Amino acid sequence: MKIRYAQHAIPWVRNVRRLILLLCVLWMPASEGLAASRELRLFIWSEYIDPAVVAEFERQHGCRVIMDFYEDTESMLARMLGGGDALYDVVVPSDNIVPVMIRRKLLAPLNAASLTNRIHLEARFRRPDYDPEERYTVPYLWGTMGLLVRPSPGQTPPDTWGLLFDPKLQPGPFVLIDSARDLFAAALRYLGCSLNSTNPADLRRARDLLLQTKKRAVGFEGSVGGMNKVLGRSVRAAIVYSGEAARAIHTDTNLVYLLPREGSVLWVDNLAIPARAPHRDLAEAFINWLLEPRNAARIANFTRFASPHQGARPYLNPSDLQNPAIYPPEEAFARLDYLRDLGPALRLYDEAWTQLKAR
Amino acid sequence: MKRAPPWSCRRFGSLPTYLCVLAIYLFLYAPLAAVVVQSCNASRYGTAWTGFTTRWYQQLLHNEPALQAVANTLILASASTVLATVLGTSLACGLSRWRFPGRDWLERLLPVPVFVPDILLAVALLLAVVTAQQLGLGLAPGMPAMIVGHVTFQVPFVTLLVRARLAGLDPALEEAARDLGATGWQSFRHVILPLLRPAVVAAALLAFTLSLDDFVVSFFTTGPGATTLPILIHASVKRGLSPEIHALSTLLILAALVLTLALTALYRKPPIPT
Amino acid sequence: MIDPFFVAGRPSQGPVAVHETGRTQDRGRSEAPGWIGALVCGLPVLWMTLFFLLPLLGVVAMSFFSRGPDGEVTLPLTLENYRRLVGFGELGFDPLYPVVLGRSLLLGAVTTVFCLALALPLALWLARLSGRWQALALTLLVIPFWTNFLVRTYAWQVLLSPDSPLTQWLNRLGVGSAGEALYPGWGAVLIAMVCDFLPFMVLPIYVSAEKLNWTLVEAAVDLGANRWQAFRHAVWPQLRPGVAAGVVLVFLPATGQFVVPDLLGGAKIAFLGNLLQQQFGPSRDWPFGAALATVALALLLLVLAARGCRALRQEAPAP
Repeated sequence: MKIRYAQHAIPWVRNVRRLILLLCVLWMPASEGLAASRELRLFIWSEYIDPAVVAEFERQHGCRVIMDFYEDTESMLARMLGGGDALYDVVVPSDNIVPVMIRRKLLAPLNAASLTNRIHLEARFRRPDYDPEERYTVPYLWGTMGLLVRPSPGQTPPDTWGLLFDPKLQPGPFVLIDSARDLFAAALRYLGCSLNSTNPADLRRARDLLLQTKKRAVGFEGSVGGMNKVLGRSVRAAIVYSGEAARAIHTDTNLVYLLPREGSVLWVDNLAIPARAPHRDLAEAFINWLLEPRNAARIANFTRFASPHQGARPYLNPSDLQNPAIYPPEEAFARLDYLRDLGPALRLYDEAWTQLKAR
Repeated sequence: MKRAPPWSCRRFGSLPTYLCVLAIYLFLYAPLAAVVVQSCNASRYGTAWTGFTTRWYQQLLHNEPALQAVANTLILASASTVLATVLGTSLACGLSRWRFPGRDWLERLLPVPVFVPDILLAVALLLAVVTAQQLGLGLAPGMPAMIVGHVTFQVPFVTLLVRARLAGLDPALEEAARDLGATGWQSFRHVILPLLRPAVVAAALLAFTLSLDDFVVSFFTTGPGATTLPILIHASVKRGLSPEIHALSTLLILAALVLTLALTALYRKPPIPT
Repeated sequence: MIDPFFVAGRPSQGPVAVHETGRTQDRGRSEAPGWIGALVCGLPVLWMTLFFLLPLLGVVAMSFFSRGPDGEVTLPLTLENYRRLVGFGELGFDPLYPVVLGRSLLLGAVTTVFCLALALPLALWLARLSGRWQALALTLLVIPFWTNFLVRTYAWQVLLSPDSPLTQWLNRLGVGSAGEALYPGWGAVLIAMVCDFLPFMVLPIYVSAEKLNWTLVEAAVDLGANRWQAFRHAVWPQLRPGVAAGVVLVFLPATGQFVVPDLLGGAKIAFLGNLLQQQFGPSRDWPFGAALATVALALLLLVLAARGCRALRQEAPAP
């Protein structure tokens, strides 16, 4: 048998080829770092930013913005804890998650000097409880949580959580929100307890109420999923955030958004930079960009959430400013509360949530 | 040689059997047909038919994340298949060629990873990736971690398939090559490897499909910009189905159809992974 | 798919040829591996050790750690997670985790049974076809197998939504009330599971059915057996290896599924897979999730060991 491939008959050549292949695989992370110098990685709620604003930033700074999306806060936190704080440059945590992230050292202190546009914020949103020195976060958008309902023709549904929790008031098929703190907030307020309660007895009552409700519910959905289901007419009620409700009503004027009288959640989403973000300077430039009044207004107009920017008011849609779903009237603030970070007591909520989902 | 069943057994082929079989095929194809129909449905929400349109396909062509996901899926599948085929074939050949202490235990334990549910593997990989990241070993969630994960569940399949084929080879061929003066490496390169080629190709194909189909392992090890098609579809389904996803799924169904027909024509028999 | 046990045969004597040529071949050579052999065998084994064995051991080890107040994994080492598994939680005694495990095993078992019931007639029918018809039928069977699993699953959401013709037709037949979707619910989950796993059950049984020795069946019929007896005594024993392969290939993955219950169960019904995903995801309780995973792993190894022991015992007295 004539050996034609003498050089490849040598055993070690095959091994060298294999070694090269292995090196190529291992060099990928290194090359990723080299090639991606003008890149910004954004981790944000789905449908939460105007792509046109992002595109303009890309043009002005000559970089590429990669966006990854999440549907609920807990998933975002799980991803950050699973190594995400070294992968993303900008994240958008809710107010109650910020203290947890600060304690777990997931956030980097912001460079106040580069955030020149911070002065445009409303006084109400400066120096919040969850970040008193404004070291780590900048408010992005704020809103409420409530019920999006498709009422039967001619009927006005009462503004109460009882639409879900009371079988007699049920408007039809409904979905619950797939977020532990938010759903328990609704149940706790319906039972008359504080939505930041750490009393095990309260949580047990809330869990039992939710277990009964789950039997009648179609399922659990995120806010966007719930909105789509109501628009698709497969359910009649869903728990959604205010911006989703405003967008849904804009699409289908038969829908209504209710802020239940028992009380609900007021939230503020913030921009922050993870501790080991690969492109810190670009991230700060991006945050400052989003704080410019015109950009903030464009984002608020696109997402239909409320903007915390005083300076953005002239550029907002006048109809949005009048829309009670987006900017609730002053008297509504009396029954809205912020979710607070509960520290170790969160274990109770986790346990109750697991039990709720598992049964 | 297959012997035809005797006439007495043709009673099994009565009408109920045909109906049952037809029902099973309908059952398998009904969901796929529904998706194809919906991809042409003009309504944005809900599934009621409101008219025929190709709008969603046109929108899909401009959908950056979807195109990126397709690219990621193909890159991931190709890279992991190549690596897994090399590793798996090496292991199969090594196991059959050399005897070393522990070889029997290795052969016995080889099928175990095949049966481990993918969620356990995904959870273990998540732990490995996070630990590696903490230790600064450069393995971050994202494409490298996903490739590692996919190779890990592909290697046992490849090894078992190639091993089975190796076991079925006639040892006389290699003995003849040896008698004619070939060294171990030469007899491997020129006798065994060509005979193994169909099995290696089949194993690579199976590994490729497993990678394309995988959701759970990718879900736990994904990172920025590394979204694959199954992850994208899952996220879209959780958010609320958009018709663009139906269009994308229809294209995937067509791809599977074309691939199967091509392989059937190539090998002159259906591509059953046996 | 192949049954690895079926293929690997008796490890202590080298693998048995798949196509039953009638002779066992021990391909082990007496030469020592040398460093080439070490690399050829060692590299894949190293890979599997690093990325499969060690991480799984790490998961088992992590199940003995505690969860810190913000979800971090900390000392002290504790058995708290296992106590919680049995039911002693912070909100009182609640034995729901064994219930979830039982529910997952039930789902796996029911899926397997339905798949088997559908696969047997199909495989037998396929094996009896000839030539071109068989190729066509097989190709049609395999196309869904090559389609993306997630697409096949969510497609049932489309098919079972309230305004789809199938739901309306089923409503008229009395299944489910008018205007409501058939999903989410146990029914939808089961339908989708069976649809997803059917090819995995049919193909191994078909492989066995192809090699069926019909003369035995003929002999049984000649000796006066009716259809059922002929099936039970002549066909079934020959199909058994394929059935065993199919059952294992369907039961174990079906038990650990989380995607299908998540998408079609409305995230309402929790199974083992959902619980695991939740603990390693939103709930950030990695030690507890690790305890769950350890229990699942232990069960799996038990099943495999039992099967392995039985396989070894069955083949021991062979010539």
